[in-house]
Amino acid sequence: MAHLKREDWYDLTRTTNWTPKYVSEEELFPEEMSGGRGIPMEAWETYDEPYKVTYPEYVTTQREKDSGAYSVKAALERDAFVDRADPGWVSTMIAHYGAIALAEYLAVTAEGRMARFAKAPGNRNMAVFGMMDENRHCQLQLFFPHANTQRSRQWDWAHKAYHSNDWAAIAARSFFDDVTATRDAVAVSIMLTFAFETGFTNMQFLGLAADAAEAGDHTFASLISSIQTDESRHAQQGGPSLKILIENGKKEEAQALVDAAIWRAWKLFSVLSGPILDYYTPLEARKQSFKEFMLEWIVAQFERQLLDMGLDKPWYWDEFIRALDETHHGMHLGVWYWRPTVWWNPAAGVTPEEREWLEEKYPGWNDTWGQCWDVIVDNLLNGKPELTGPETLPLVCNMSQLPIVGTPGNGWNVKDYQYEYEGRLYHFGSEPDRWCFQQDPERYKKHMSLIDRFLAGEIQPADLAGALIYMGLEPGEIGDDAHNYEWLEAYKQKVDSAA
Amino acid sequence: MALFPIHSNFECDFVIQLVPVDTEDSMDQVAEKCAYHSVNRRVHPQPGKILRVRHHENGIIFPRDMKVEEAGLRPTETLDILFMDE
Repeated sequence: MAHLKREDWYDLTRTTNWTPKYVSEEELFPEEMSGGRGIPMEAWETYDEPYKVTYPEYVTTQREKDSGAYSVKAALERDAFVDRADPGWVSTMIAHYGAIALAEYLAVTAEGRMARFAKAPGNRNMAVFGMMDENRHCQLQLFFPHANTQRSRQWDWAHKAYHSNDWAAIAARSFFDDVTATRDAVAVSIMLTFAFETGFTNMQFLGLAADAAEAGDHTFASLISSIQTDESRHAQQGGPSLKILIENGKKEEAQALVDAAIWRAWKLFSVLSGPILDYYTPLEARKQSFKEFMLEWIVAQFERQLLDMGLDKPWYWDEFIRALDETHHGMHLGVWYWRPTVWWNPAAGVTPEEREWLEEKYPGWNDTWGQCWDVIVDNLLNGKPELTGPETLPLVCNMSQLPIVGTPGNGWNVKDYQYEYEGRLYHFGSEPDRWCFQQDPERYKKHMSLIDRFLAGEIQPADLAGALIYMGLEPGEIGDDAHNYEWLEAYKQKVDSAA
Repeated sequence: MALFPIHSNFECDFVIQLVPVDTEDSMDQVAEKCAYHSVNRRVHPQPGKILRVRHHENGIIFPRDMKVEEAGLRPTETLDILFMDE
């Protein structure tokens, strides 16, 4: 039987905007779910997805990708790479799975919202595939770590993290709830797919895949590369939405959605990818610094895409570029210092050799971040480990839900961007974080940060032990130094040779 | 006397921290309670210097003997703790 070429029938079959007979258009596409923004249906019908795929093509390709990823896993399982991998790399995987696996499942619902409620038929069609993509990503990233639960309970946090009140889980939920679970279809296409997936999944999935291959972890490299090929397809849903908004006089609104999502995504990745790329990955396996990767893959890409589309660079762009030298160092130091509160074992990543690398990549590191680490190293060398752990909580931002950090030491510039709204004092880690809140206070005002919950008496007893119980961290899951402080040997040798 | 939460933005440290103080505490006592969570943990001590408390937003340095309840602070307000000569 002769088959028509895809281009001869694709447009016709996915043009599914029939005229509703039994309900009104408003009932079929409620504004709060569809987000049509008063733009007529004919305009949404011009949505032209840049990546066209049919169901048979999709299924064939996905089957091949799945067999590839699962075969690599099966073939390398006997090799027991995890047992001989650098502990910093193991922490990378455990942190990654906990932070990402169930967020993928949340993304299924976001794609589902577009698949049902987008007024653009092309968006609905792509989102059906996107929905299946995200389901696959969730399944893969639950199945792969599950094989390692026999090694440590921390691996179980791939499934557990999002069901807990761990601070990192609260931060991740806050972001993903904002851009995926509580927005209309158009906003989801812009905030989740354009702002988050186009840029930031590159960071976690391409940057990390490169380091994984260098570290010898071919299972993980093949898994996340396989996922990224889906992301790069369905991330293209936001572009055509933006085009329609801009053509119909909604540029300002589109810009605000992009600006808020890019900033919020950046903050989340500053605590996830930043420490992994610059501190956890063994020195010899690092392909690029976090900042280099950000500049090449995120900054340059967004600048080009935003301008091509007729949008502007976000108003905070200069601050964003400046923060590439700062924020993730603070997040890393915070995670390491408050290490009992995370489900992975943070690698310090500050041997003398690693500090040389940090100084080269971030000139001035030793004079700023290095000063804090000097005190920590002295305490560990002098038998005062109790001074290297927390006795109180850091202030967390009411937008990112992450600690409010800045540059320490001789570059000290830490600042709390406070804002009083309806009698409540809110705290923010930056001007853009505060701006996100001010854009839509009704959306955010009732959220309780971890500190708000602590002060409201929700964490009992009101100490570290109570906090760990509140966060769901059980014995065997509580984080400690990834290398069991063996990295101090290099400092001991320095002290010995000086004496 | 009542517990009063403030946030400590300690000079040379990298993070702001929650510190419970008392409404009867003087600013010197506030500085001391904040120092406990920063000095010798991530901040080198600075012998010969004294610690002063500064309003984070308007930059006014509080008198050393001023009590927390006299300072017009809002609960959870952030305070800068600075090493100074006097």
